[in-house]
Amino acid sequence: MPTLFEVSSADVAAQALRAVQALLVDLDGAATIVIASADGFELAHGGRLAVAPARLAALVSSFAALGDVASRESSIGTARCLVIDASQGRLVVRCMQLRGQAVVVVVLTDASVLLGRVWHSLAAAERLVNDA
Amino acid sequence: MTMKDFKIVFTGTPGAGKTTAIAALSDTPPVSTEVQNTDAGLHKARTTVGLDFGQVDLGDGQCVRLFGTPGQARFEFMWRIVATDAAGLVFLIDNSRPDPLADFAAFLDAWRDLLPQMSCVAGIGRTEACTRPSVDEHADLLAARGLVFPVVAVDVRRRDDVLMLVDLVLALALTRA
Repeated sequence: MPTLFEVSSADVAAQALRAVQALLVDLDGAATIVIASADGFELAHGGRLAVAPARLAALVSSFAALGDVASRESSIGTARCLVIDASQGRLVVRCMQLRGQAVVVVVLTDASVLLGRVWHSLAAAERLVNDA
Repeated sequence: MTMKDFKIVFTGTPGAGKTTAIAALSDTPPVSTEVQNTDAGLHKARTTVGLDFGQVDLGDGQCVRLFGTPGQARFEFMWRIVATDAAGLVFLIDNSRPDPLADFAAFLDAWRDLLPQMSCVAGIGRTEACTRPSVDEHADLLAARGLVFPVVAVDVRRRDDVLMLVDLVLALALTRA
C-alpha cells in the first residue's frame, strides 16, 4: 500500500507533467521545460532536451534557493522568479506551489521569446494545475 | 590568500551537520538555503540545496568565512563553486549512517583533485552513540589512500568542537604557507 508521502508525490508529479504540457503548447520558442521539487528532484520535463533534466532540476533548485535567500537578505520578500539572460537564450526560473508543495519551474527559451510572455504563461500554468 | 580573510568549506553527507556546525560558530546569523526535503530516505525535514554561509572573527583582524556545501551528490556542481579559493576543507562524517567509511571514501574521491591545494581535517560525528568505525579506522582509510590529515570526533552542536576543526585547518594552512 503506498504511503501518504508516495501518493502526494505522485499527484504532484502528475500535475507537474500537466503544467509542462500546458507550457509547451502556450510558449513558442520554449526549448526545454523542467519542473523540480525544491530539493532538486526532477518531477516532470518536456521539450527538446539540451541538458539532462535531472541535472537541470538540481541546478535550478540551487539557483532558486540562492535567489530566495538573496531576496530575503535584501528585505525584498520572497523570490518568485530568476532570469539568466545569456547570449543565445534565457533560463527563466519560477518558484511556485503545486498542490501545496514548493516546486521550481525552469523554462529554457531562445532569445526571441519575450520575458513577459514567459511570466504570463508560467502564471497561467500555476493557476491551471492548482485550480484543477 | 591572507590570514585576514580565510575561507573554509564544510562538506559531507546529508545530515552530517554542516549547517549546524556553521550556525554554531558563526558570529553573524548564518545564511542558509535549506528547503523542504522530499527524499523519504533522508529522515530530515529540511535539506541544504545551495550553500551555507557564516563568518567568525578570531581576533587580531582575522576573519574566517565559513561555507557549507549541499550533501547530496546531485549537487556536486555546487561543491566546486563553493570551494573556489578555499584554503581549508572540513569533511564531516556521520558515524550513525550505514557505512560511514564508504561515505568518507566517496567524498575523498569526489574532492581528490582539490585536496593537494587545501588543508583538510575530518570531523566524525555521533561517535558516542555509534562507536564503530573508530576514529582510527577513519584515519586508516586516509592512510590507505596516501593521505594524512587530522581526524577527530566532534559534536557539531558544540561551538568549541567546531572551533577546534577550524583551528586545525588554520594551523595546517599556516604550515603550508
